[in-house]
Amino acid sequence: MFICKDVVEKIMGYIDAELGGKTLVELENHLYNCPECDAFVRTYRKMLVLAGKLRANGFVTILFRNRLKTFLLSRLNAK
Amino acid sequence: MQTNILRDVIGNGINEKFHDDSPDEKLIGLLLNENDQKAIEEIFNRYVDKVYGIALGISRDPNSAEDIIQDVFLTLIEKIDTFQGRAKFSTWLYRVTVNASYMYLRAEKKHESDYSLENYVPYDENGTLIGRIKDKEWSSRPDILNFSKEAMEILDTAINELPETYRIVCQLRDVNELSYEEISEILGISSGAVKSRLHRARLYLRDKISDYFYEWRQNK
Repeated sequence: MFICKDVVEKIMGYIDAELGGKTLVELENHLYNCPECDAFVRTYRKMLVLAGKLRANGFVTILFRNRLKTFLLSRLNAK
Repeated sequence: MQTNILRDVIGNGINEKFHDDSPDEKLIGLLLNENDQKAIEEIFNRYVDKVYGIALGISRDPNSAEDIIQDVFLTLIEKIDTFQGRAKFSTWLYRVTVNASYMYLRAEKKHESDYSLENYVPYDENGTLIGRIKDKEWSSRPDILNFSKEAMEILDTAINELPETYRIVCQLRDVNELSYEEISEILGISSGAVKSRLHRARLYLRDKISDYFYEWRQNK
């Protein structure tokens, strides 16, 4: 019989689709019957989607990219 | 492929020794043996944003991240002979990036006091969830899921508040989307340790985000 703690401790395997058989069935049964855990899993999944979107902040500017590339090529030529 | 053909046809100064889909190791060979300028340009184009993303994730400062990636690519040019091919080139480069970022933090005395989240759990002694999770549910709210500027700032702030050893794992996996195995090699810890840190980081982060979104909605 699954309790909330089991959902929390197995959530990475659940999200990574690594659970199977009885464990998966019991976990999903618990989610169906526990609104708190259902909300927990839904917000956990959405958090990962949002975190992935943060990658868009991690791009260098064109100006810096060009400046750095020029600098690196000059260092390479000086070797 | 069409790009490759065009390059061959119009000359365009592109090195004919490799193509867009040539493996990194081939480019590294050209860099090592011939100081090939086009090879370093191709490596730069493939990795500059990924390296920047990691440096930014650790330093949390765009100007510092620019300094760090300059150091990383200089290391690439000057110390590529230390790459022994035991790991993938990308893993080697990311490891150099992580080390350069930590060196930066130490030099700037921005090394944060780290604390453990190993005992962080969102349930009580009976194993029942705590924290009014359903009341604070935000996963279907359009103002958050449309990735509004405020929502993304809240997420960024919450990630910033993670202790450093957890934040880097979260950054590499959930933002930069590296595999557990790559992160394990980059940080020099076991895959089990990566998963364990990531698990606690996500639990902490989910709680923080829920609290912040809840407050944000109350104040709107």
